Amino acid sequence: MAKQYDVLFRLLLIGDSGVGKTCLLCRFTDNEFHSSHISTIGVDFKMKTIEVDGIKVRIQIWDTAGQERYQTITKQYYRRAQGIFLVYDISSERSYQHIMKWVSDVDEYAPEGVQKILIGNKADEEQKRQVGREQGQQLAKEYGMDFYETSACTNLNIKESFTRLTELVLQAHRKELEGLRTRASNELALAELEEEEGKPEGPANSSKSCWC
Amino acid sequence: IFAVSPRLERNGAISAHHLTNKMTWDGSYLGSATRENAQKDSKKIQKEYEDKAGRPSKPPSPKQNVRKNLDFEPLSTTALILEDRPANLPAKPAEEAQKHRQQYEEMVVQAKKRELKEAQRRKKQLEERCRVEESIGNAVLTWNNEILPNWETMWCSRKVRDLWWQGIPPSVRGKVWSLAIGNELNITHELFDICLARAKERWRSLSTGGSELENEDAGFSAADREASLELIKLDISRTFPNLCIFQQGGPYHDMLHSILGAYTCYRPDVGYVQGMSFIAAVLILNLDTADAFIAFSNLLNKPCQMAFFRVDHGLMLTYFAAFEVFFEENLPKLFAHFKKNNLTPDIYLIDWIFTLYSKSLPLDLACRIWDVFCRDGEEFLFRTALGILKLFEDILTKMDFIHMAQFLTRLPEDLPAEELFASIATIQMQSRNKKWAQVLTALQKDSREMEKGSPALRH
Repeated sequence: MAKQYDVLFRLLLIGDSGVGKTCLLCRFTDNEFHSSHISTIGVDFKMKTIEVDGIKVRIQIWDTAGQERYQTITKQYYRRAQGIFLVYDISSERSYQHIMKWVSDVDEYAPEGVQKILIGNKADEEQKRQVGREQGQQLAKEYGMDFYETSACTNLNIKESFTRLTELVLQAHRKELEGLRTRASNELALAELEEEEGKPEGPANSSKSCWC
Repeated sequence: IFAVSPRLERNGAISAHHLTNKMTWDGSYLGSATRENAQKDSKKIQKEYEDKAGRPSKPPSPKQNVRKNLDFEPLSTTALILEDRPANLPAKPAEEAQKHRQQYEEMVVQAKKRELKEAQRRKKQLEERCRVEESIGNAVLTWNNEILPNWETMWCSRKVRDLWWQGIPPSVRGKVWSLAIGNELNITHELFDICLARAKERWRSLSTGGSELENEDAGFSAADREASLELIKLDISRTFPNLCIFQQGGPYHDMLHSILGAYTCYRPDVGYVQGMSFIAAVLILNLDTADAFIAFSNLLNKPCQMAFFRVDHGLMLTYFAAFEVFFEENLPKLFAHFKKNNLTPDIYLIDWIFTLYSKSLPLDLACRIWDVFCRDGEEFLFRTALGILKLFEDILTKMDFIHMAQFLTRLPEDLPAEELFASIATIQMQSRNKKWAQVLTALQKDSREMEKGSPALRH
């Protein structure tokens, strides 16, 4: 039986309440879209395995509650992430303004070398747009991030942005990745890279690794 | 309730009355969070049953009316018709025709057997439903005639506790919750009206972009208030969206909006916090607006709820630590498995505690948890959590982190109520002769001392 994945890492979705974090995620993992989704309380989880450069990557996605009050809780999860989506809503100037605050929280609480990507969601709502595309690009440039305008509704740039962040995380961990490639047949060596959650469930998953 | 939702979604928002009826007919009456009169519906179902009982061999299907004269016609075999070969083809040899006839008859007999079995199953189901309805009807009488008039003396008696554990009938549920939660804050209907009027004034001034109102809650900037009011609006549409009753234009939209708005005026220091909309929604389904507000405010004023809704992280950690003491005591194997996988209690408890299980459990089951929570307090929330973990212990021990996290934040929709309550009943809330409250107090003391000793250790 083929192994289910080669590497495992965690991506985190953050941004103001109602910008569409859960919708982005549902579109990506289940290809579904519901205009009125149930609010996220605390943190929700999804996962998906994708292939990048011939490597099977299992990504765990942590979908956080957006309300400011919850940040005391959600900040605790930043340190467990290798990649972070910063999401705003193009029809909400305020959610865009808050990105600066979200970025400074990430700088404070996330591990060094964490990969970030900026998302302007709800790109289909052109008539309600309050944040120009170039504003998003400008902000992303300032922070040295990649930028996508997405729409969970019309399925615009969803796969692209998730794949891009996954690539960035893979690149950032190229060193360990080389190890993975050269030792691909050596399951014992790989097991050393396993983190507490990456414990084999059975022989099917006996080779996988996780960076934390 | 969830059985109804596909229909609700198709029709969009429908009237509350409509919904109540449908719930009753679906047999999800026991826990359905409605205010329908139980006795009346008990009779209705009884009649429905008697009508059917006259023709026991027929499954209750609308089609049966069409075939009244046929006593037992298996529905699934009506399409099975044995026909002779068309005249333009050579006739079957007699032997083959005989064989086909025999095969055909066997098929019909088999199908009839299946139908009969199905009909018997349905009959049993209906009888069971009648039994449940009858016991609810009796319980309603007991609650109304014996317990509620003598609340002070009776509520903690053995008999009432037993009845309570079985679930409060929906028609008296609101009343019992109100009494059990109490009104320590002495909130009157007038106070609710005042808070609501103030909230409405704010909505108006925000929508017209008006100037600053009276500045009595200084320290809470206009921007904060605006954000909070906007978040309420957003969250109302995201509260039980599949019920389609709280959304814009739905029958309970304004009530939910009113309670949450009034609360932000009543407690500007707490404000609106996500999760509150679910609690208010469940209360609205069982109480009138003003009484729901009173219950809501008093409920949130309880120490555990205050700690969570104010996001007092230190205190929340203390609650999690106390939970872990009982977790390890009751389920040592699973506890070790969680530890090994770095699955901390915050990951699932936050959702469960903030929404009092209304988001993660089926709504009728959540109401039954509320029943006992209103009686036993916060301890029961954590006992329920352990009951859930115990119920699924075997499945969970086979899972890795992400599967457990996903499972616990989205519990099975068909979670059986009786099994869950049986599981909760086996959970011991005693650890080395210490009760929940004692363990919690001791941990709080520890954490305070630690804070004094080395503030840097805590966040």
